[in-house]
Amino acid sequence: MAGAAERPHPPTHAKRNLALLGAALLVGWAAVTVDVDPSEILDLPGGVALLFREMFLDPGPDWSYLPTALEGMIESLQLAWVGTVLGAILSIPLGFVGAKNVSSGGVSNVVRQLLNAIRAFPEVVLAVAIMIPIAGLGPVAGALAIGLHSIGTLGKLTAEVIEGIDPGPVEAARAAGGGSILVQRWGVLPQVLPEIVAFWLYRFEINIRAAAVLGVVGAGGIGFSLQQTISFHRYSLAGTAVIVVVLVTIAVDTVSGWVRRRIIEGAGAKRVDADAIAHPELAEVVTGPVERP
Amino acid sequence: MIRFENASVTYPGGVHALKDVTLDIRDGEMLIIVGLSGAGKSTLIRVINGLVPLSGGDVKIDGVSVRHAGSRQLREIRSKIGMIFQTFNLVKRTTVLNNVLMGRLYGAGTLRSLFAWYRPEDIEIAMQALERVDIVEKAYVRASNLSGGQQQRVGIARALAQQPKIILADEPVASLDPPTSHVVMRDLQRINRELGITTIVNLHFLDLAKVYGERIIGMRGGELVYDGTAAQADERVFRDIYGRSLTADDVMSEAATAAATL
Repeated sequence: MAGAAERPHPPTHAKRNLALLGAALLVGWAAVTVDVDPSEILDLPGGVALLFREMFLDPGPDWSYLPTALEGMIESLQLAWVGTVLGAILSIPLGFVGAKNVSSGGVSNVVRQLLNAIRAFPEVVLAVAIMIPIAGLGPVAGALAIGLHSIGTLGKLTAEVIEGIDPGPVEAARAAGGGSILVQRWGVLPQVLPEIVAFWLYRFEINIRAAAVLGVVGAGGIGFSLQQTISFHRYSLAGTAVIVVVLVTIAVDTVSGWVRRRIIEGAGAKRVDADAIAHPELAEVVTGPVERP
Repeated sequence: MIRFENASVTYPGGVHALKDVTLDIRDGEMLIIVGLSGAGKSTLIRVINGLVPLSGGDVKIDGVSVRHAGSRQLREIRSKIGMIFQTFNLVKRTTVLNNVLMGRLYGAGTLRSLFAWYRPEDIEIAMQALERVDIVEKAYVRASNLSGGQQQRVGIARALAQQPKIILADEPVASLDPPTSHVVMRDLQRINRELGITTIVNLHFLDLAKVYGERIIGMRGGELVYDGTAAQADERVFRDIYGRSLTADDVMSEAATAAATL
């Protein structure tokens, strides 16, 4: 046994306390700046309860509005889907060029900054500032806004996944005499594709929510119905629309999540748990992809 | 015929991995390279297909210089040299067949390979390669579902699908258990004998080198320190190569060797 080693001193909490103090000051400063009225915050639960009662209990949802709400929701799904496919297709080449291990450091930096710049603008801002002036009011503007924003997020994720690949297959493809494009096609793409396709679906799930909001600014979909019914205090109709949004979103998420797991794990998914011990790199597929900001 | 002419490699950072190596390897030979880690075995293998660029001298394959080959010519040279790796280097998330078809990257043509639109002939070549290593029933299984020994046989099939004249194997059994190691080494030996493919293998287990090598080359500190037959390579020779007495770590277990050679 080793001799009695000197016991360590307990670490000081000075840094942590300083950070907590800083966070508290920040919250206080923000609250003062945006002029938070404490009485408004206290009124909030009551307001929510009132709205909830009007929409879902008394008088409750008006089911005659169901066809209109469904139609709007389907349009939202469509523009989310078109936008996602658009973003997915264009993000693939940008992701490859943005990965340091595929292109040079300089080029990848420029592409990454471009992708960051795109991501800085939410879909709503892109729709109002760029797409509606170009394409006019309606679902086309919404789909383009979603597509553009998706290029930013998907491109960045694609580049990051590519930078994390096992370099072995790339060496094997080069050793087989493959040209540079074929080395990417067979040494890199099959390694990253399951993860990237899973992210496409995940992005689709996010885009459905974005599409619902886009209608509020007139870019198509159910958001328009929500905005109209609420601003005219037709809470029964709004209640129907809210129910449709929630149920359809949950349904699509469930299906999409199932497909994503199938893609990542492959058909023989049963073996994953056992193999995760021998191959720790497989452990990530058990938890599935995580949301990255 | 592979000819090393004063071949030297200096890595960025100043490590002399290969010092002035001159060596002839005849067609159809089964050559085994032994030496400690860092002795330059992997570098020696990788300068043959140009994965590691030479900094001095030259390597010629049938008279064609690897050092002075352009990128197109280099790809043509590589297409005739199959390579097998210590960690198999398979794309684990795709099928065994797709991995073997990687061996057809050069032969199948860029557009066809790009869209995975292979000719039936290329698929037939890949299937025959899988049959030769006795694993064709796994053709449509994801590579991640195979054991280590099975993955290495897929690695060999990928090299065979290139219809190569030379096979380079970089520590092909270092990730495998002793009985599986013998299966893989026997596969390589059989391919060398039946197809007459020049086979160059890095090993660090001396007993395997003596069993499977016709000719053994010893590397130490980037230099060639032994070149002779397996029969001549006795313990004194290995002590020279390793620069120390041999230990149990340098050989596989006797029992496993005996069991596998029965």
